[in-house]
Amino acid sequence: MDFYYGLLQIIGMHTILGLSAYIVLLTGQVTLAQAGFFAIGAYIAGMLTVLAGWHLVPSMLVAAVVSGTVACLVGFPALRIKGLMLVVATMAFGEAVRLFWFNFDYQRSKGEALVGPLGGEGFKQIRYFPENGWTTGEVATFVWIWVALIMAALWWIDRSRAGAVLRAVGEDELAAQSVGINLTAVKVTAFAVGGFIAGIGGAIYAHYTTHIEHSNFGVILATFAIAYPILGGLTNVVGTLLAVIFIQGFLVEGLRFLGDWRNLLFGALIVLAMNVRPRGLIDERAMLFLRRMFGLAKRGTNA
Amino acid sequence: MKLSKLLLTTAAAALAVTGVSVSAFSADREVKIAGFGAKSGVVRSFGVNTEAVMKAAVKHINDKGGIKLGDGTMGKLTASFDDDRCNAEEGISVLRRIASTDAVVAVGPTCSNVAEPLFGILQKKVDDASDSGLQMPIFTDTAIKGGLAKISQWAFRNVPNETVMYQTMFKWLMGKHPGIKTIYGGVEEDFAHSRFTWYKVMKVRSAEAGYDVKGESKWLLNDTNFTTQVREMKKAKPDAIAISAHPFTTCGVLKEMQRQRVKPKLLIGLTSSSSLETLNGCAKQAEGIIIPTSFAPVTDDARAAAAATAEMGGSADLHSAAAWEIVLILADVMEKQGIMAKPDTLQADRRKIRDGLASLKSTAGLLGKIKRTEEGEATKPYLYVHAKTGEWAVLHDPSQQ
Repeated sequence: MDFYYGLLQIIGMHTILGLSAYIVLLTGQVTLAQAGFFAIGAYIAGMLTVLAGWHLVPSMLVAAVVSGTVACLVGFPALRIKGLMLVVATMAFGEAVRLFWFNFDYQRSKGEALVGPLGGEGFKQIRYFPENGWTTGEVATFVWIWVALIMAALWWIDRSRAGAVLRAVGEDELAAQSVGINLTAVKVTAFAVGGFIAGIGGAIYAHYTTHIEHSNFGVILATFAIAYPILGGLTNVVGTLLAVIFIQGFLVEGLRFLGDWRNLLFGALIVLAMNVRPRGLIDERAMLFLRRMFGLAKRGTNA
Repeated sequence: MKLSKLLLTTAAAALAVTGVSVSAFSADREVKIAGFGAKSGVVRSFGVNTEAVMKAAVKHINDKGGIKLGDGTMGKLTASFDDDRCNAEEGISVLRRIASTDAVVAVGPTCSNVAEPLFGILQKKVDDASDSGLQMPIFTDTAIKGGLAKISQWAFRNVPNETVMYQTMFKWLMGKHPGIKTIYGGVEEDFAHSRFTWYKVMKVRSAEAGYDVKGESKWLLNDTNFTTQVREMKKAKPDAIAISAHPFTTCGVLKEMQRQRVKPKLLIGLTSSSSLETLNGCAKQAEGIIIPTSFAPVTDDARAAAAATAEMGGSADLHSAAAWEIVLILADVMEKQGIMAKPDTLQADRRKIRDGLASLKSTAGLLGKIKRTEEGEATKPYLYVHAKTGEWAVLHDPSQQ
């Protein structure tokens, strides 16, 4: 059972990472900075629990606030550019963050050992969960409480005026601006919220793996972060969750028994999924179908 | 009526099958060893070789009748191998999967960046009820970064002690080549093992031996262009160059050194590069490179292990050969501890294996006696080898001094 709880933890963490990119993608911005915010959350929360001896929850919140603040600060200059230039700029930011942790040393004595980040050798012994007697089931529950809270918050935002504003900017910036929407404010806010969410994901990740190092937060993680909402579809947050289950649960874990063939199938199945569902796993038609199935929409209703 | 008949037949068949499996279970019980490591990416060859060695060692033991279990019956070893892609997250997931099966012990991983988090999720101290870490014995064959086994009392390693190996080798080289005074390093900066070995081992130990360390050039595991780094080496004009990198970039650097005509009087390599991959990739350019290693087919046992591994389609080297020793050590510990290999004794068997491994002071190895430390590490016999006409040849045996 522990294995399935562990898998739930992985899916939960990646869902949070995907949701951090989801809100930015709603404004039409493609970002590769999420791995950087994830890293900031991981290192800050790890330092607070290991070096300062804080409880995990306040550590996570502080880590998320720091990530969100950095995202806000980065957002102002970065979001003045668009499209491919923004992709390159955010990727450069992500790499800068990774290299910062690659060179960052801050260790203190704890018992007989030195603990804390040690540059390229990483940050070990982030053992909050086992040291406090948390079972894998309890950790999985904890992770999924965060996933549920974040999904509920984003679901609510999506259905509020704020969500309409985000989507308006994402659909047509010129039209949004012409009706008085402040584009910079909207984009920077989405970026900051995305950074906050990624910070929470990173904090959980650090305590899940117990050891983090710069190489965990590279371009591949950043690519996964945007791949989840794109593959899942931007209709609502459930798509991101489904995409994570598809990639982490099925492609990575479910196909492990295939050995070397798994890596070949991995890319091929993603390409296939994108071809079969070009607007994401959960698009408007799928939502309409689901609504009808659960009796929430009448026949003839448009998506 | 037809339905009742069908149900009765099914029940009878099920009983028969269950009966057969129960009797088979008691007659010839299986003892499962679960291997895991990198079988994809740039370090794929390490996992492939470890899997081949493990399977060869398991066959070697089973051909001799298997292992004697606690109740006197004989058990057959079985080995599986999972790919963790040298990724910490996947490594943890694989270990949790292994722990949920009937495997009594795990062997792996390949990469130190996977071993470190893996050992972190294990219970730190045995019998510490406040620590909910995983209680699963792990015996590591490849992940070589220094001092990892002390993270948990459930973690053990059979990897060579690089600090001792390089310390004695640099001293020996200083005596052998007194005219060589300066050394320059090349380090694969983003890989835990190579980085640790340069900064904490090679650099420190070469300076201790009396070499003037003139600096180091850095590159990354996935780099393919080494022009700048080799230019830095050339500019430093060192007598010797020590490359702390895995076979893939070691070969890249050596080829670039040839292109830029950088010819140091002495070339030293990382333990992990004393493998077939280096010779397959750049035998000509690696000619003369000196590396300390804990495996070479110089004893009867080592030659037999290498031949058995080759039959399984793998290659026995410094890392993979450790898996052979591990399987033999485990078989010995299982017999001495009297594991039962029954579903209801699984956790007790795991604990017995852990306790058995922790109590070891020394074990047999392919090159001779291996000493075990209290922290779960090994002090293995070693040799200095050099690349000579496309093969690894023994240059010196420090135990003969």
